[in-house]
Amino acid sequence: MSILELKNICFSYDEKPVLQDVSYSFEQGRMYCITGKSGAGKTTLLSVLSGLAAPTSGKILYEGEDIEKLDKYKFRSKYIGVIFQSFNLITKFTSLENVVLSMDIAGVKGVNKKEKALELLESVGLDDDEANRRVLLLSGGQQQRVAIARALSYDPQIILADEPTGNLDEETQDEIMAIFRELTLQGKCVILVSHSPKVASMCDECYDLKRIVPQKRSARLTQKPQPKVQPKAQPAQTPPKKSYPDYPQGESTIF
Amino acid sequence: MYIFKNALRCISRAKGRNILLGIIALIVAISCCVGLSIRQAAESTRKETAESLTVTATISFDRQAKMEQLDAGRGQDRGEGFNGGFDKEQFKGVMGESSSLTIEEYKTYALAQSVQEFYYTLSASLNGSENLLPVSNSTSSNVTDTEDAESDESVSEFSDFGGFSGGMPDMGGGMNRLFGAQSDFSVVGYSSDSSMVDFTSGVATIEEGVMFDEGTEELNCVISKELATYNDITVGDVITFTNPNSEDEIYELTVVGIYSNSEANSSSFSMMGSTSSDPANAVYMSAAALSKITELSEEAAVIQTDDRTGMEFSSAVTSTVNATYVLGDVDAYYAFEEEVRELGLSEDYTVSSTDLNQYESSLLPLETLSTMAGWFLLVVLLIGAVVLVVLNIFNIRERKYEIGVLTAMGMKKFKVALQFLTEIFVITIVAVIIGAVVGGVVSVPVSNALLQNQIEAQSNQSNRLEESFGRPQMGGMNKPEGMEAPDNMPAGDFGGGFKGGFNQIFGEEGFATEYVTEINSAMNITVVFQLLGIAVLLTLIAGAASMLFIMSYDPLKILANRD
Repeated sequence: MSILELKNICFSYDEKPVLQDVSYSFEQGRMYCITGKSGAGKTTLLSVLSGLAAPTSGKILYEGEDIEKLDKYKFRSKYIGVIFQSFNLITKFTSLENVVLSMDIAGVKGVNKKEKALELLESVGLDDDEANRRVLLLSGGQQQRVAIARALSYDPQIILADEPTGNLDEETQDEIMAIFRELTLQGKCVILVSHSPKVASMCDECYDLKRIVPQKRSARLTQKPQPKVQPKAQPAQTPPKKSYPDYPQGESTIF
Repeated sequence: MYIFKNALRCISRAKGRNILLGIIALIVAISCCVGLSIRQAAESTRKETAESLTVTATISFDRQAKMEQLDAGRGQDRGEGFNGGFDKEQFKGVMGESSSLTIEEYKTYALAQSVQEFYYTLSASLNGSENLLPVSNSTSSNVTDTEDAESDESVSEFSDFGGFSGGMPDMGGGMNRLFGAQSDFSVVGYSSDSSMVDFTSGVATIEEGVMFDEGTEELNCVISKELATYNDITVGDVITFTNPNSEDEIYELTVVGIYSNSEANSSSFSMMGSTSSDPANAVYMSAAALSKITELSEEAAVIQTDDRTGMEFSSAVTSTVNATYVLGDVDAYYAFEEEVRELGLSEDYTVSSTDLNQYESSLLPLETLSTMAGWFLLVVLLIGAVVLVVLNIFNIRERKYEIGVLTAMGMKKFKVALQFLTEIFVITIVAVIIGAVVGGVVSVPVSNALLQNQIEAQSNQSNRLEESFGRPQMGGMNKPEGMEAPDNMPAGDFGGGFKGGFNQIFGEEGFATEYVTEINSAMNITVVFQLLGIAVLLTLIAGAASMLFIMSYDPLKILANRD
């Protein structure tokens, strides 16, 4: 059974269609990669998936249940772990405090939060010193690791990550991807947005989001973009490997 | 719980801003503390003074009101060619009829429930005899005075009215003192021991012998030491008094005690000119015994007709009644006022209480200060609330991104708002605690300094009153030192005997008001609770503003529009 399902999702921003009739199904134990050109609506799709934005029409089902009927705050804080592209950490808190805070918000009980947070931070390559340093004083890559640790802290069923490895070196990228792979083995669903062919190649499925081109004469939007679903990652679908500019990127910085 | 921890963490991570916020809250807290303390002090001083106060009330004929009434009547008659001035006949009639109540009437009003104790004194004027001469500091012979009494009638007629005679000639007709008002002795009869205020208060004490029995009808009396020495009288001697209007009438009283009065040398009494006014010539006896004398005198009385006015007067010794009702407290006084009206006291009479007037006047500066403190408090609170709300809104806007992150992480908006509320509450509470300590230290000197200013203002006002009247107010002869030179008050000596002269303008008996000049402890638990209440109130107001902002934020927009 799919853990997260998009059913005919449409999303318009200022009456400009961004997502058009997107239907897709995400399953547990698999890693997905959402690709697409800038402006194709990847960020919007992630906003919709994480419950931060409500689709104009269509449904998102979490374990078969419409998330509109769920407590969105609970959904965000417990069931889904989001790694934002711009991290969105509380910069005046330390790494450790950020991770513990997300566990507090999720209402995690019965574990030593501090210990678990330290373990998680260590697993993403941050030592005790970095764990107790304020986020503001960390580098972009370190902040990204904190964001990953934070998303994992409350053990969500779905991990949503926007360019999770964008600021990381190759070695760490591999470590992080290994963590994601490990999560899928634990039965979790990992959804990544990435331009990296390497990342895409490491995923079980890729979903290429096409940009909606407005019709020249008619405003009718009858032409449905056909999302291409490949059973396995096909690097050909993504642009050739290119160097990524440093954060922040040109797109919206929500994720 | 994590919200609280988070709040504390946020406070500690933004020290500069929060210290600034705290300073503002502290200023508001100290100001409120001082304001509240003054109000509290006024309240508790009023209460304490009221508790320690035994209110005594008297019923007196309201001359002023009656005169105004007559004056109004005169105005209506003006068309009939009345050329100003009081209708003397009418006036005397009114005064004669109803100026004083009888003992029986007084006793009726004593039945009022609020009366704890009732006593009265009877005063009569008697002359001495050859073996009993009044103590006098005048050079003229008293015997001669006595002999001349009747021929001096027209002159002496007004003398007993003292300062009141000024603008109102010939009003003595209705009073009971027509005959030989210039008598030697003032004989005072007391209805009970408690009515002998001088003795109960310790001003006067029996030096030899004993006090006459309470309520006795035996003709016993106590006399002053001066009188005893002057006439060589010892305890057990019989002294002879005569009716000033009829020398044949003789009353023999047995001296059972001799007293000394520590306040006997009051110059104000001797200034009245009559020897009977000298406290040394006061003879005290039981009221029952004195009424026996007046009854006897009544029987032997001769009726005379005054040639000028045509009114009839008796030669009998008459006494004036001075009744005092002891009431429990201030409330009882007001209850008494109502009760006597129900018991049939005419509107021509007023119930008054010197204690109460004095009490009210003594609190006047403090009450004024309290009212001012109330307004000050209101202004401080308003400004404080506005400043805190504005600062809080700045705070919220500045931390918009943080709010966006927290809500995006799944923290409910009201929890975010609660965290912000907790932050501001903690800051305010800390400010209030420091403010209460600082306020507690400064409020007493500040309140006292303000009170002192207020008293000076009040005294200046009464000084102006005096100037306007061109003479001291009645009873103002004992002009207190403070009144003459308020500037001489040593600075900082708040406890000084700054006795004001805020006398009643038309009061029958003027009195020097002793203002409450100092408050000792302004802070108490009530003030602390009030401060906490204010802290909660301000936090809620500021919190409500931040709540509105937080609720209106959309995390997606905040994060998307991040600078």
